[in-house]
Amino acid sequence: MPLVRFVAFSVVRAWQGFWRNAMMSLAATSTVVLMLVLLSGLFIVLAGLNSGLQYIESKVGVTARLVDNLQQDRIDALVVDIRALPGVAEVVYCSPDCALERLKEFYREQGQTLDLGGAEITLYASVEIALTDPNFASGVASSLEGRQEIERIITRQADYDKLLGIIGYVRTVGIIALGLVGLTVLFMIVNMIRIAVYSRSGEIEIMRLVGASDSFIRWPFILEGILCGVIGAVVTIILVAIAWEPIKPIMVRVFQMPTAVSTEFLAVLSALILGVGLGVGALGSWISVRANLSSAA
Amino acid sequence: MTDTLRRPYVATPDLAEPVISMVDVGMTYPNGKVALVDVNVSIPEGDFVFLVGPSGAGKSTFIRLLIREQLPTSGRVVVAGRDLSTMRRSQVPTLRRRIGIVFQDFRLLPAKTVYENVAFALEVTGATGAEIRKRVPRLLNLVGLHEHDDHLPAQLSGGEQQRTAIARALVHDPAMLIADEPTGNLDPVTSWDLIQLLIQINAMGTTVLMATHNQEIVNAMRRRVLALEHGTLVRDESGAAYEREY
Repeated sequence: MPLVRFVAFSVVRAWQGFWRNAMMSLAATSTVVLMLVLLSGLFIVLAGLNSGLQYIESKVGVTARLVDNLQQDRIDALVVDIRALPGVAEVVYCSPDCALERLKEFYREQGQTLDLGGAEITLYASVEIALTDPNFASGVASSLEGRQEIERIITRQADYDKLLGIIGYVRTVGIIALGLVGLTVLFMIVNMIRIAVYSRSGEIEIMRLVGASDSFIRWPFILEGILCGVIGAVVTIILVAIAWEPIKPIMVRVFQMPTAVSTEFLAVLSALILGVGLGVGALGSWISVRANLSSAA
Repeated sequence: MTDTLRRPYVATPDLAEPVISMVDVGMTYPNGKVALVDVNVSIPEGDFVFLVGPSGAGKSTFIRLLIREQLPTSGRVVVAGRDLSTMRRSQVPTLRRRIGIVFQDFRLLPAKTVYENVAFALEVTGATGAEIRKRVPRLLNLVGLHEHDDHLPAQLSGGEQQRTAIARALVHDPAMLIADEPTGNLDPVTSWDLIQLLIQINAMGTTVLMATHNQEIVNAMRRRVLALEHGTLVRDESGAAYEREY
């Protein structure tokens, strides 16, 4: 029961304190919202890029386009050689007929029909090599260079590397931006609590004189900072939830995010926002209380 | 005074257990200012003591040491059987609940009513709602403010504000009441009313230490007087006047 009374006392005092310095509290909360919106934006962009990366990873392989009219025994020998290379997961031979069928399928998916005007075409046969890791692509490609059976080697390594570079860049810029906004939020919360401590210095002195323990003096201020962070987080979650509906199809279509992942994503993001809001609020107020109440309490 | 506030009256203070004991206490501030020099005092439970001396004599430091707002640079301060020098920081709140303190400027919370000001002292120490509802009206009755419990401090006279502060100081049923210039902002008639209240509280067994410049009150009361000058205890006399009489 004493713990319940202590918690009730601290929460009520924190709530009163939050609204007593309403302007400062709202300014700090708005900054928390700004930081969390930025965090959410960065998280969404990075999640999208990661999804895209995973999609490309799954597609990164090596395609060896074969010379025309290659004998089947040479094809079989080539396939055996390729299977023996490190990093090769699967090797599939696609004949000219198979290539033509795929082209027709591609057109069908676009809602069109491949019209060759009655002409006969022969596409290249190819050997498609799936890899255990996209990083094996260049090694496999170089091993196949110079083979007479192969007309051309195609990899998507360049696309993969490019996307990896973009993700790294976005991540770095985002983390720096978040760090700066995070510091601003901490500064705002530290100041908010400092003002709250000064505005209640009379109360604090009386509390000390009548024998209030450190916890009774400090925790309402710490909870006030946490309240600021949590209110900021809740506002951000509402904003993100509203924005998520139009963003979700983009994540699925453009970034190839699986639908199941995109459904869970909002819950994960909300938990992250709440955790960061709560953590920043607690850290800011704890720093302020340490600095401003160490001699008083 | 209610039963819960009543203490056994100590008729012969000298034989009682000291509630305050200072042994060779010295206090020098970091800036070099010497506030107290080798002060030796023993105040038994139930005593009524005046602490007198000119401004800067060390009265405020004396009081700050008793409530462990500061620690002496030398010597020992023992309050209610606890050596304050060895007391852990976490134990200080418990000590302060054994000491009630009132000031010249009352130090009431202006946005709270008389009732709330007194209740606040219980609330911040974890008292239950039932305890608060039981104790606060009794204390307001004791100090004669039960009919003003819904007034804000600004709606009260100086004397009434000081009575509110006394009620707040007594919420934890302290062994000792320290009054730092309690009549400093009051007119003579109100001052005497307040002294009557302090006498009543002392008669119930609470030790009273009152720092004052009010010669008239000290001379009329003829209680024990501790006189400080330049940080030195120059007089410790029972039944004494404000000034030395010999």
